[in-house]
Amino acid sequence: MKKVLIVDDSIAVSRQLEKIVNSGEEFEVVAQGRNGAEAIKLCQQHKPDIVCMDMNMPVMDGLTALRSLSQLMPGITVVMVTSLGGVGDKYTEALRLGAKDVISKPFEKDSVLEMLRRV
Amino acid sequence: MAVKFFGQFVVEKGAVSRVELLKAIDLQEKTNLKFGEMVVEMGLMSTVDIAKTHQAQRNEDLQFGDMAVKLGFLTAEQVQQVLTRQRNNHLYIGEALIKIGALSEAELEGYLKAFKDDQLAYVAEKIEIPAGVPHQPIWEMVADLTYKMLTRVANLSIRTGPCTIIDKLPSRPIIAEMGFCGEVSARYLLSVSENTRELVAKAILDETSVENEPVEVLDDSVMEFINIVCGNVVAKAAQRGHTIDITPPEMRSDAQEGITVPDDHTALMFPIYLSDGEVFELTIFVAQD
Repeated sequence: MKKVLIVDDSIAVSRQLEKIVNSGEEFEVVAQGRNGAEAIKLCQQHKPDIVCMDMNMPVMDGLTALRSLSQLMPGITVVMVTSLGGVGDKYTEALRLGAKDVISKPFEKDSVLEMLRRV
Repeated sequence: MAVKFFGQFVVEKGAVSRVELLKAIDLQEKTNLKFGEMVVEMGLMSTVDIAKTHQAQRNEDLQFGDMAVKLGFLTAEQVQQVLTRQRNNHLYIGEALIKIGALSEAELEGYLKAFKDDQLAYVAEKIEIPAGVPHQPIWEMVADLTYKMLTRVANLSIRTGPCTIIDKLPSRPIIAEMGFCGEVSARYLLSVSENTRELVAKAILDETSVENEPVEVLDDSVMEFINIVCGNVVAKAAQRGHTIDITPPEMRSDAQEGITVPDDHTALMFPIYLSDGEVFELTIFVAQD
């Protein structure tokens, strides 16, 4: 079973993603965070296999957290789930900082599961 | 399902890897010189003059070329020469993917067609914005994408009314708000009834009933909806060469009292009607330049 951490300031999106992730037999949501700072703390605590993280969040945004995670936990699999995925500069920056993939909102259940299996 | 750029589309289709995409973007960045870099390469200005032009731009809102003309570093004709050279030398991402060997010409042609079909859902329709409001094409795009997302994401059947300029936002139970910053400065506000909030929450949460959901979750669904709209607006604007960013969504606590338009702003209101006759509004507070 692969452990998944969800990080999004929106409760609605976290709920939606949790439902999708848990519907894939090989995945299990182990924790949820509301901003980038919580993501770093929860990663160290739960050592997830995959982190699904938003970009635009208060306190600490997703790209800042991704930069820190890539240094603190090299090799960690982070996927950005964001409404800004279609912005070329943001997409490129996420990949350069080490994100394994970027999913644009609105997303569909099948594309999220397919991406989780791919990464 | 969302607004995308071509590089993202071909990665999602498995046609190129993310490493290949980054390599193609690196090549683009080396090839597509900025205006200042191009004038140095063409020997029209020194790096010292470039720095002086940048410095002057901090005090006056002019594009680099216009400022260089004003300071006497370039003629208007030379600005045109630089722009033409930039245009002629521009390397598109598809061409860059061919150059690095990630795609063949035939594959590029096929994927460009598929990309165009995929993005057809987001081709803008004409929406009239009152005369004199700055950055009209952006607000047209904001309204258009809001209407499209209300249909596609929130599953609402809507009819829209003409855009008008207002002095005060009518009182509504729920108003979710986000900010646009960068090239434009504006606030995006979506005012809805409790009934519309429930409809949006059902769609966002993918639930048949949200009767037992706390208000916090219902409000959050509306905020997420406007986050999706505004994020896709930023993506669409980037396709057209505009650099815009967004701030996280929030709920207005003064929604019930009606909101007065801030000084130095123009408020554009777009009424939206549901099939049962209920009306709600998209409003954009546009900061005057």
